[in-house]
Amino acid sequence: MSATGTAKESGLPVGPAPSVQVRDVVKKFSLDDGQPLLALDGISLEIAAESFVALIGPSGCGKSTVLRMIASLDTPTSGSVTVNGNPPAALAANHRLGVAFQDHALLPWLDVRRNIELPYRVSGVPVDDERVAQLIALVGLTGLERARPKQLSGGMRQRVAIARSLVLRPEVLLLDEPFGALDAVTRRHMNHELQRIWTEEKLTTLLVTHSVDEALFLADRVLVMSGRPGHVIQSLDVPFARPRTVETTRSELFHQLQDELTAALDSRAEH
Amino acid sequence: MAASAQPREGSVLLGALGIGMFLLAWEIIGQNRWLGLTWPALSEVVAFLLTPSRQALFLRALTASLGSLAVGYCLGLVTGIAAAMLAHTVSPMRASLDTMSAFIHAIPSIALAPLFIVFLGRESTPAALAALSTFFVMYVTTTSSFASSRPEWIDLMRVLGASRLTRLRMLDIPAAIPIIVGGMRLAAPSALIGVIIGEWFGASRGVGVLIINAMQNFQIPLLWSAVVLAVIVSLSLFALLGLLQEYAERRFR
Repeated sequence: MSATGTAKESGLPVGPAPSVQVRDVVKKFSLDDGQPLLALDGISLEIAAESFVALIGPSGCGKSTVLRMIASLDTPTSGSVTVNGNPPAALAANHRLGVAFQDHALLPWLDVRRNIELPYRVSGVPVDDERVAQLIALVGLTGLERARPKQLSGGMRQRVAIARSLVLRPEVLLLDEPFGALDAVTRRHMNHELQRIWTEEKLTTLLVTHSVDEALFLADRVLVMSGRPGHVIQSLDVPFARPRTVETTRSELFHQLQDELTAALDSRAEH
Repeated sequence: MAASAQPREGSVLLGALGIGMFLLAWEIIGQNRWLGLTWPALSEVVAFLLTPSRQALFLRALTASLGSLAVGYCLGLVTGIAAAMLAHTVSPMRASLDTMSAFIHAIPSIALAPLFIVFLGRESTPAALAALSTFFVMYVTTTSSFASSRPEWIDLMRVLGASRLTRLRMLDIPAAIPIIVGGMRLAAPSALIGVIIGEWFGASRGVGVLIINAMQNFQIPLLWSAVVLAVIVSLSLFALLGLLQEYAERRFR
């Protein structure tokens, strides 16, 4: 909340103004043999407040690096990343960031409830039991509060991780292939649940994925990245109204957009 | 989990068989005096240990040694873990603490014992030597155990905006516990060695005193009994801490 306040005070327009801004970001890594590797070549993107943006691209194109920079886990070689006009680290320091990683990153010594409560305990905010219970219900894990992560299935663990990322009502939600390791059926199921949750919470969200279907189903806008060195080659506003259903995914237009995005991915993938 | 039960039972059985054969060989060699008078049969040693008139002697020695062990072990445990936490949270101190603990470890305790006798007195030396060896094992295992926090957990703590201390409390310590308990298990026998060496240099009672006196007076059954006592203490502690380690691994992994 505090960061929104500062945005207002600094005279930035609120509402449709971009909440997350990535401008001309270049990222170079040096390999073990000292060879430089250009991972990102001047990428720019914006995420409007309360909108859902999906970033798709071939594996190794640097899409996760973009997400890690917004999460303040990585820094650009040149260019800038800002969240509400501030450096991303400020958002994390204020406990206003929610992230669900590719790996669920649940702490094995805590049960489901304690894992979801973790952001409260880290930030020193008193635990809101009602909010925790509500989120456990939202991700369909009521009755499993006392279970430990190793007793859960892969899909359940990811649901716990998503509940944890949402619990503090973050200003920005970052999802790094959270369903990447799940089978197709569970994944589709999780996408429906995520949409339902997102519609209730309306958070500024970035989803990194390599699944065209997932991106089209969930996002307001889909950005396509090229293979290394990564930059955005296409931006598509998704026209489907919410709530999206199985019917949406079977429509003519969905298939057409799916083909279009797949073609864009193929044309610029690394050979 | 269920699959590992079968081979485990097998290995326990095999281990018991090995120990049984060793004890049997001990008995036969002793009965036949194949290795001379200094190798008594197992049954003789057990009978000697269980003689009612000697119970008080053994009990007194055991209490003294266990007392020194408890004090030294706990002291080494607390200081070792505390030093490792300091090295972990205040990174500039890491290198010097590493060097210091390696330096302490490099000095043979047999060389330190006379110094300790002069400094600390005869009664405190066993505990001090136990503390020293426990400190080293605990420092090394605890510092390396803090590296066992997986990178994705560290990322999680960073995006949640955790301070260094919060991270230590909520991530590094719980993640390190199984390895720290493993270190506690390894430290126990080496602490006992420290106690016995310390006692050799002139404590008034203890298992080490019993060993050295029996040796000097050529009391062979007493010498063997004292050694068996030390082995029993060492193995029971090792087994007990093994149970604790098993629990820690179930609870924290």
